[in-house]
Amino acid sequence: MSAILTVDGLTKTFGGVRAVDSCTLAVQEGSITGLIGPNGSGKTTVFNIITGYLRADAGAVRFAGRDVTGHDTGRLYRHGLSRTFQQARVFPPLTVLENLVAAGGYSWWQLFRRRITPADRTRAERLLDEFGLAAMADVPAAELSYGQRKLLEFAAVLMSEPRLVLLDEPTAGVNGVMVDTMERHVRARNAAGITFLIVEHDMTFVMRLCDPIVVLDAGRPIFSGPPAEVQSNDLVLDAYLGS
Amino acid sequence: MKSLVRGPVFFGLLIVLPLFGLQHWVLNMLVFVLMFAVMSSAWNLVGGLAGYPSLGHAAFFGIGAYALGSLFKGQTVSSGYEPFLWLPVVGLIGALIGWPIAVISMRTRADVFAIVTITFLFVVQTLAFNLHGITGGAQGLALPIPPFPAATFEQPYYYVLVLLLSVAMGLTFGAARSKVGLALSAVRADEDKARGIGVPTTGVKVLAFSVSVGLTAMVGGVWAYYQSFIYPQFAVDPLITIAIVLMTFLGGRATLWGPILGAGILETGQQYLAYELGGSQFYLIAYAMIFLLIMLFLPRGILPTLVERLRRRRSSAAPAPAPRMETAA
Amino acid sequence: MHALIQGVILGILTGGVYALMASGQTLIFGIMKVINLAQGAMVILGAYLAYQLFTSFGIDPFLAIPITTVVMFWLGVAVQVVFLRPLRSEDRSELSLLITFAVALLLEGIMSVTWNTTHRSINTSYANGSWTVLGYQITLVRLWAFVLSLGALGLLFLLLNRTKFGRAVRATVQNPDSARLLGVEAQRVSALGFGLGAATAAAAGSVYGLLYPFNSGSHYDLISRLLSIVVLGGIGSVGGAMIAAVIVSTSSAIVASTVSPAWSEMTFFVILILVLLIRPQGLFGTVGRGSI
Repeated sequence: MSAILTVDGLTKTFGGVRAVDSCTLAVQEGSITGLIGPNGSGKTTVFNIITGYLRADAGAVRFAGRDVTGHDTGRLYRHGLSRTFQQARVFPPLTVLENLVAAGGYSWWQLFRRRITPADRTRAERLLDEFGLAAMADVPAAELSYGQRKLLEFAAVLMSEPRLVLLDEPTAGVNGVMVDTMERHVRARNAAGITFLIVEHDMTFVMRLCDPIVVLDAGRPIFSGPPAEVQSNDLVLDAYLGS
Repeated sequence: MKSLVRGPVFFGLLIVLPLFGLQHWVLNMLVFVLMFAVMSSAWNLVGGLAGYPSLGHAAFFGIGAYALGSLFKGQTVSSGYEPFLWLPVVGLIGALIGWPIAVISMRTRADVFAIVTITFLFVVQTLAFNLHGITGGAQGLALPIPPFPAATFEQPYYYVLVLLLSVAMGLTFGAARSKVGLALSAVRADEDKARGIGVPTTGVKVLAFSVSVGLTAMVGGVWAYYQSFIYPQFAVDPLITIAIVLMTFLGGRATLWGPILGAGILETGQQYLAYELGGSQFYLIAYAMIFLLIMLFLPRGILPTLVERLRRRRSSAAPAPAPRMETAA
Repeated sequence: MHALIQGVILGILTGGVYALMASGQTLIFGIMKVINLAQGAMVILGAYLAYQLFTSFGIDPFLAIPITTVVMFWLGVAVQVVFLRPLRSEDRSELSLLITFAVALLLEGIMSVTWNTTHRSINTSYANGSWTVLGYQITLVRLWAFVLSLGALGLLFLLLNRTKFGRAVRATVQNPDSARLLGVEAQRVSALGFGLGAATAAAAGSVYGLLYPFNSGSHYDLISRLLSIVVLGGIGSVGGAMIAAVIVSTSSAIVASTVSPAWSEMTFFVILILVLLIRPQGLFGTVGRGSI
């Protein structure tokens, strides 16, 4: 297995605080990699840098063999790197179906074609069926529950057939049933070839699903390994409990 | 579908209206209503569909007015229809000037966009007063007098504006039905997210703006020809900006008929008051007050509020829908 | 060369006044994330008030400042409470621009009805006096204006850094959620902040009336310059706005004295476009909202 994503010496400072400190890590292709760490460890910042929402002060990001440091989010999306948001960002006034089609990616001349072509509809409906949202296809996203929005957002980023999906706290704020649903979808898609990098606070979820797990503390990785080792590692325990 | 019937009926009425031998002041009022209907509809493309409130459209009205004036400076017209034939050029000029403005100002956020547009308005106003060679400065600019018979003087302008209105509405309709509209809706709902999922946000914004100001410039051209003599303080007048913004908001942003409704209500009101009161200072206060009241009490505008009320009444009459369940897929 | 240095002197002196006006604008943006398009109109209103106090009661515009700032402070609070507070948060960013624009036009309309559209200026006895230092002319009024602006900015600085209110303001600017948790009432801070912004406009207005002839329509010119200054300085940075004010004023003055006064009118627009092309976040711009 090769690394589909590498982060090399990433540094980012806010005000006087070094949120990310010479962070270097790699995500193996085909894995479901977890990224955990106590509050303030820099997970979200690393995420935002990788996905193009923030510019690093120093360091490089490589994705699928090319240097993508500083590339903007749209460009990364088109290259196969997608991400979801903790707050489940969807387009509330658009219907569920339209949300998916909007994420489908299209070239300039396609803009002047029909809003939802039959081809769009078929592609979207397949995803909707998979995620159990088919009944809500023509409902505005504003009327969805929080859990449904998270599913919708997840489904939408799959429209572009990404190679790597970064999930930002996928289980935050959702109930137990939804957590299992999320896990099921991640596994299914992983089996189909998508690599995942997941930032999470829910330890049980991470331990169950992710391998390897990278632990960040004070802006840099302090450990990387399988779930069993993470739980017993001293450095990790120190980071979370404070020494 | 209902909407496909409304359009032809509406335009049929418009086409037939002047043939009823209406009085001149009524026709004049209709010309102005149409002018503002076109401009509000055009503004809606960028301020409503895209969610980028432009505060500088009055500048493009002026640019169109002076463009037509420049094209016909010192010339006479034979049939009187020549200036109308040059309107597309005027529109193109407006769009070409608008394009770089949009590219520069729409790259970051809506606030920056508003800043650039309002600054641009002021700059154009200053240029209108100072570029004597092109605009005649404060002395004004004369356009050729058309040989239209006095009895039906307003009619050519009226019909040209009806045509422009059909174009504006057609574009709005087409945009909503195409992926352009989908992209614009995404931009309006959550631009950063839209950019993040590969929607060509800058492209569609710039396109909407250029088309919008091109249309506005054409209306400016028609106005200039209608007035036969234009002064810079009326050609580039911030009051026009606030009027079209207000009309669009009143009727309902991002709707097809909202801007027309808003223009119909407000412009007829203003034209009627012009007989009674006169003096533009009061218009300013009136428009500003009405605008603020709308913002506070009817922020969605008339049409969307009505639609929402109807929908609520209809759903309360129907049996209650089954409670939403978490999908256990 | 002489003209150049004269331009620089003029620019720096004028820059102080614009810095005062821009700081009010930046303050309001920092607290409420609202660009106050009515800031120019408020300055003009301050100028009219000072003018009225001068012509009716003979009060010197500098001495009128305590009166006008208090009046305009409450006006600012009223505007925020009546027009901005009722907005729902999702509409706020989009609509606040239009609302403050409408307030600007409302003020313009009221001013033009109250004082008609004749250009006014405050002609005190010292209005035309000037010193000549090393062959360069320094108009007294501009010098006092500069001193006043520095003083007002100093007061503002003290207010923001030494008082409880100032602490609350800074907390709200940096992190509204935490501030709220710590008991800072965001709404009250917003209202007072807007009032403060209006108060700075009043102080600047007295000065403006001394320096330039004005009428109700002058606020377009003013707000356009202020916005260019704010963009150059970086939206959200008070220090940036001050530096930018001096840069823009100085550039305008240099163009006026070396090229022509007509072109100096365009200088701020050119600067605005250049900033947006080269460095859209301005000199000291804070991270834009939206995104994460």
